[in-house]
Amino acid sequence: MQRVAVVGAGTMGRVHSEAYAQMPNAELVAICDTKQEAAEELAARYSVKAFTTAKLLLAGVEFDVIDVSTPTNTHLEYIKAASAAGKQICCEKPLARTTGQALEAVRVCEEAGVTLFVAHVLRWFPEYRKLHDLIEAGAVGKPVVVRTSRCSAYPRGTDDWFADMKRSGGVALDMIIHDYDWLRWCFGKVRRVYARGLYESNIPLTDYALVTLRFESGVIAHVEGNWARPGGFVATVEVAGTQGLLSFSNTESVPLTIELKARGEETVGVTVPESPVSQNPYYMELEHFINCLEEGRKPDVSAQDGLEAVRIGEAALRSIGTCRPVALA
Amino acid sequence: MTDGRIVKIGIISFAHMHAHSYASCLKKLPNVEFVGIADDEPARAKEMAKRYGVKAFAKYEDMLAAEIDAVIVTSENANHRRHVVMAAQSEKHAMCEKPLATTKQDAEAIVEVCKRSGVKLMMAFPCRFHPAFKRLKESVAAGDLGKLLAMKGANQGQCPGGWFVDKKLSGGGAVIDHTVYLVDLMRCLTGAEPARIYAEIDNRMFGQDFEDTGIISVDFTNNVFATIDSSWSRPKSYPHWGNVNLDVIGAQGVARMEMFAQKIDVFSNKTGKHTYEYWGDDADLALVESFANSIAHDKPVAITGEDGVKALEVAMAAYESANLREMIDLYA
Repeated sequence: MQRVAVVGAGTMGRVHSEAYAQMPNAELVAICDTKQEAAEELAARYSVKAFTTAKLLLAGVEFDVIDVSTPTNTHLEYIKAASAAGKQICCEKPLARTTGQALEAVRVCEEAGVTLFVAHVLRWFPEYRKLHDLIEAGAVGKPVVVRTSRCSAYPRGTDDWFADMKRSGGVALDMIIHDYDWLRWCFGKVRRVYARGLYESNIPLTDYALVTLRFESGVIAHVEGNWARPGGFVATVEVAGTQGLLSFSNTESVPLTIELKARGEETVGVTVPESPVSQNPYYMELEHFINCLEEGRKPDVSAQDGLEAVRIGEAALRSIGTCRPVALA
Repeated sequence: MTDGRIVKIGIISFAHMHAHSYASCLKKLPNVEFVGIADDEPARAKEMAKRYGVKAFAKYEDMLAAEIDAVIVTSENANHRRHVVMAAQSEKHAMCEKPLATTKQDAEAIVEVCKRSGVKLMMAFPCRFHPAFKRLKESVAAGDLGKLLAMKGANQGQCPGGWFVDKKLSGGGAVIDHTVYLVDLMRCLTGAEPARIYAEIDNRMFGQDFEDTGIISVDFTNNVFATIDSSWSRPKSYPHWGNVNLDVIGAQGVARMEMFAQKIDVFSNKTGKHTYEYWGDDADLALVESFANSIAHDKPVAITGEDGVKALEVAMAAYESANLREMIDLYA
């Protein structure tokens, strides 16, 4: 049984807390958030203790695992405190805001001998796993050129922290790091990054990036990150190879659409597309992490994987600034 | 349009498959007389002349000496210069298949000769005439999307093979073949010029001496940035030859154009595969009509030789960028 404390009572903290609460071999024991109200509210839902700092958390409750689901720029301070206390760590993606911070996170966990798992959840989304497995099975022959898209409205986190580039890094780091990690999983090491984007353009609630990755294997990938939409979520993947093409779009993978007429005082009805799956990817991801801890195995996403994804994101941000390709050593 | 005089047009070479589409357009337009066909391969000229019910000329010179107003040049890319210059020197207007040429020097020479000879030169960029693009342009011009920020274009297709993969005749592979369409649409949409180019290009799809894959980044003079995927990345089993897609990102909204989305899905036991049958407007017809009308009414052409040069310039910079692994600044 792994006793888990979740730090960060925002969107991801809630999702992770719910997963741990349901897991037979995990026990949610505390919620920590710098905003006392937020911590208490989420803690009350699971009848666990609430804390406002890492120090108070570590002193106030016994636990084995810390789940860091705070704004990206604060990950390192929690990882340092938790690793020093010998806690196992699950960190929400991106591992850190900068490569320097990510390197330090990896180092302190190595030195403390604790597991650092980075929550790159895409690897547990059935469509992305199926794409990965198809590629590995040679469905398109040798992969050559790949396109991914991840598009939504601008995310609104606590205190609008996504809009603060110093905290989130914007769409080219925070959002499409999902795709960087998935692409690394499928195609290996990235050699070169070129990116254009709106990073630090200061356009209200709008960010957008087009990133070209060149892999050691020769694969060229084009990654779109879009926080410029009015609403809705679009994710697409296309993998072209010597023997064929894989194509996925979430908007075309809708087994159920419920359309309701307006009722009562409403003037318009609603259309809700759904793609239900029996297994929640976030649950499966954290279940994998907890099982690895229980069984003494290494998780499928390593601290190094988390670091490498940040490195790509940082290279993209630098390329956006300099208008030059960035080589990754 | 039926006013104005009848415009007499011939086709120079059926090397490019688009000649077929233009030929049927010439047959359809009421104010056009499709006069004849001349080709480096006399047998092909005869066959096509028979198919379209027009005259086959043994030599280009014979067709250019005949009573015609204009030609459509659909020869191999490397022959465009020779053929357009021949037409211009015979005082015939020309519409030239894209890309305008295989080098910037040739492209500029074509423009120069046409100017000096006082003949019209039009680029065959039919996508500009597609109703979806026209509507997109209208919406952007009306400010619906707010300030333009970025664009994402894709013109992915099947590898056409033949002379398209013979660099002596084509000037390159997928990049020269496909980049130019999107560059032209983006220039038309933004009213800005390409300034900075970066490209990742490779030949790993077919492993031959032509590039089959290209992702090209283009920053425009108004700071709008864009990418163009010009890869021949549609497999033989793909339902259609390819696509022309354009996403436009503005401060107040986004738009997505899929030019060939007006289609019927066909699943046929006869062909053993899934195919698309396009039912939308024929942009080629609007293109050829526009060319004919510019002659009939002696008006400027809708898409100029300079437009062709600008589009080609991006493809050339993409090759340079891929070789140097550096961004190319066209204004440096």
